[in-house]
Amino acid sequence: MATPDIHEIPAGPHASEVPELAQPARPAAAALNAPFFVEVLASKDEVKHRHQVNALPIRIGRGYDNDFILDDPHTAAHHAIVEQGEDGSLHIRDLGSHNGIVHRGKRLPLISINGNTVVRLGHTNLRVRAADFQVSDELADTTIHSWEGWPPALSGLAIMALLSLLSTWLSDVSKYETIRYLMAAAYVLSGGLIWSGIWAFANRLFGGHARFGRHLFIAGCGMAAMEAWSLFSATAAYALSLEFLSRYGSHVVIAITAAMVYFHLSIINPRHPRRIAMTAIILGLIGSGLMLMMNYQRYGQAADELYMSQILPPSIRLSADQPVDQFINDAKSLKEKVDADRSKAVGHDDQDADAAE
Amino acid sequence: MRNFSLAAVSAALLAGLLPCAIAATPMQEQVPLPAPSSSAQKLYSSAQNDLLQIRILLKNGRTQASVGSGFLIGDSNLVVTNYHVVSQIALEPETYVGEYVDTANQRGAVELLAVDALHDLAVVRVGRSGTGFFKVPEQIQQLPALTQGQYLYSLGNPLDLGFAISEGSYNGIIRRGFYDQLMFTGPINSGMSGGPNVTVDGKVAGVNVSKRLDGELVSFLVPVRYVQELLVKVRQQAKPARDFNLIVGQQLMAHQGVIVDKLLESPLTLKVLGPYKVPVRESDQVRCWGQSNAKPDIPYTVDEMRCQTESAIYVSSQLQTGQVSIQHAYTRSLELNALRFSDLVSNAFKNQVSGSYKNQQVTAPACKEQFVSNNKLSMRAVLCVRAYRKFTGLYDFILLTASTDQAMMSLQSRVETKGVSYDNGLRVSRIFLESLGKGGK
Repeated sequence: MATPDIHEIPAGPHASEVPELAQPARPAAAALNAPFFVEVLASKDEVKHRHQVNALPIRIGRGYDNDFILDDPHTAAHHAIVEQGEDGSLHIRDLGSHNGIVHRGKRLPLISINGNTVVRLGHTNLRVRAADFQVSDELADTTIHSWEGWPPALSGLAIMALLSLLSTWLSDVSKYETIRYLMAAAYVLSGGLIWSGIWAFANRLFGGHARFGRHLFIAGCGMAAMEAWSLFSATAAYALSLEFLSRYGSHVVIAITAAMVYFHLSIINPRHPRRIAMTAIILGLIGSGLMLMMNYQRYGQAADELYMSQILPPSIRLSADQPVDQFINDAKSLKEKVDADRSKAVGHDDQDADAAE
Repeated sequence: MRNFSLAAVSAALLAGLLPCAIAATPMQEQVPLPAPSSSAQKLYSSAQNDLLQIRILLKNGRTQASVGSGFLIGDSNLVVTNYHVVSQIALEPETYVGEYVDTANQRGAVELLAVDALHDLAVVRVGRSGTGFFKVPEQIQQLPALTQGQYLYSLGNPLDLGFAISEGSYNGIIRRGFYDQLMFTGPINSGMSGGPNVTVDGKVAGVNVSKRLDGELVSFLVPVRYVQELLVKVRQQAKPARDFNLIVGQQLMAHQGVIVDKLLESPLTLKVLGPYKVPVRESDQVRCWGQSNAKPDIPYTVDEMRCQTESAIYVSSQLQTGQVSIQHAYTRSLELNALRFSDLVSNAFKNQVSGSYKNQQVTAPACKEQFVSNNKLSMRAVLCVRAYRKFTGLYDFILLTASTDQAMMSLQSRVETKGVSYDNGLRVSRIFLESLGKGGK
């Protein structure tokens, strides 16, 4: 922050001109530009409440004879006072309260403050800024304001509906019935609405407004990415004999979900992209880890399936066939793996035995 | 051929079967009942002293886990029963223990001497001797010659209700399993497993073993000649075996050699499914069935052929093995487009291999997958293997194939061989992969 320190203001270039106009007994005091603003903070950057005080000193406490009244039972009736010190700077002084003034975890009787110093009185975080406090530069507005409300909402819903119709059509191997398509669309749309609704609720809670349309659009794009991945991975795995794409495909789906979480969180609070990205990456890694553990528990291996089940038309195939001899020779290596598994201890769950199926 | 489930059969089934029992209860003394078969009466009274119930108890708490029957051989202290009656004390001697109860309600411990898991027989030793009623001759020529239709009598303790005798008739040798069994048209119930089946003059014909749950009075006996062979072995062995897991493992290993040799003894029969030729084995042991989904409102057709063994080797309540199954499904469509058809056949190809990492009997499957061509047909092939945890050298093999030569036609095959050696499993898989081809109509 390029905020000038309040301490330096009296020593600034204007200071030499001030004495001619100066009427108060202490010329330095005039350098502090009234009015002053006492701000109660909710979090580091969020002002919950702001109060204007026209002159120093500012008396702060729970009592009604103060300049700034605190609604905090953990503060004294006359808790603290803000005044100008000998050096001309502002300071806050404890008036003998029980809980005191805390700055950076330390209780102090007198703290020199500038516009960025946050002190805690009881449960209340405060800062005091003078009228000449230098605010930070205006941020460039990257938000597309026309992409709010109905346009993204309808686009998101349209994407979801189209995806559900596409996947139903691809897997429809019985006689055509319109109701099946409508039901599929209804399921997907209600799922998307619930998902987006939860994010919109969180947005309303933490970001002030819901931005439901944007969340719907993100959900739609996420679903589209998943469908595109499933079509691509199935085709590539079959065409090029890249079975791992199908065996570990769920991790890509988890990554897409993590990306969706990133975008949803960015809509709620766009100020900390790196922090949000880290959160999404950690969530994705936890998801992948759980998936690997679950597969291991089920099949004794990390892959999602025992073998690839995809069978596509012959025109898609690019890889070559192996001779039977080579396949049988390769299969000899399985012996080592299952023999190693034999000796591993298994859980004591006799009911689980399905060998007699 | 399903083995008895040792759990109690439903009361309804029991009620239905009771009238067949010869020793009718004298409930309505006024109404003249048909005279009880005098031979059954005579047989029971002379056999009852050598008839035992074999009970398997949990060592901890001595509550019964399962029950069966057995009979004393001659005037020795050897008792013949089924392997499946005593499998728990054979495989888990640290958890289970056996005892016998005779018709006079005397109890005593049993000691397992020998098992024959393939024919489902076992010999145990008890602390008392027989009266000599049930004789098993040492020479094969001395065994009774049976003629179809002749009366036979099964003895045992059905459903733990009490000792009983049931009358039925002999109906020949059944060769659906890999080992002969006798068909007995008479009632056998759970709990009678291991009991003797005798001719009217008291000669042992076989041992009660199983019945068809989907039929009426279709029961099966282990022929007495296998009892004879096992008794010879018992008399030759110096002391009882320690580790029956090892013995059962050896027997299963011998069995898999028999089934695979039998399966592949002659070239497989090639059957025509659409444009494809598919290998099957149709024999006494492997029966084939076909079905089709053809219906007017389904835009595709699936013709299926399924050949499988009807018998399995019972190893324990959680493990049956020795089955072979061969399935072919030919799917085609004129109405669907290529993408939808792919979806249809992909779904059919999915989830064909079951198995869990936590299974106590076999490991989770490990699979090899590849596009394979045998110069006649190109296909997607998946070979999955599971190892038996308790029996070294035995594996389940599942081979899946899906033809990849046509966009709107698909041949999917599944060959499963259970409980075979690794070499035999690969041998079967290779022969099937090499036999699939084209050249039908």
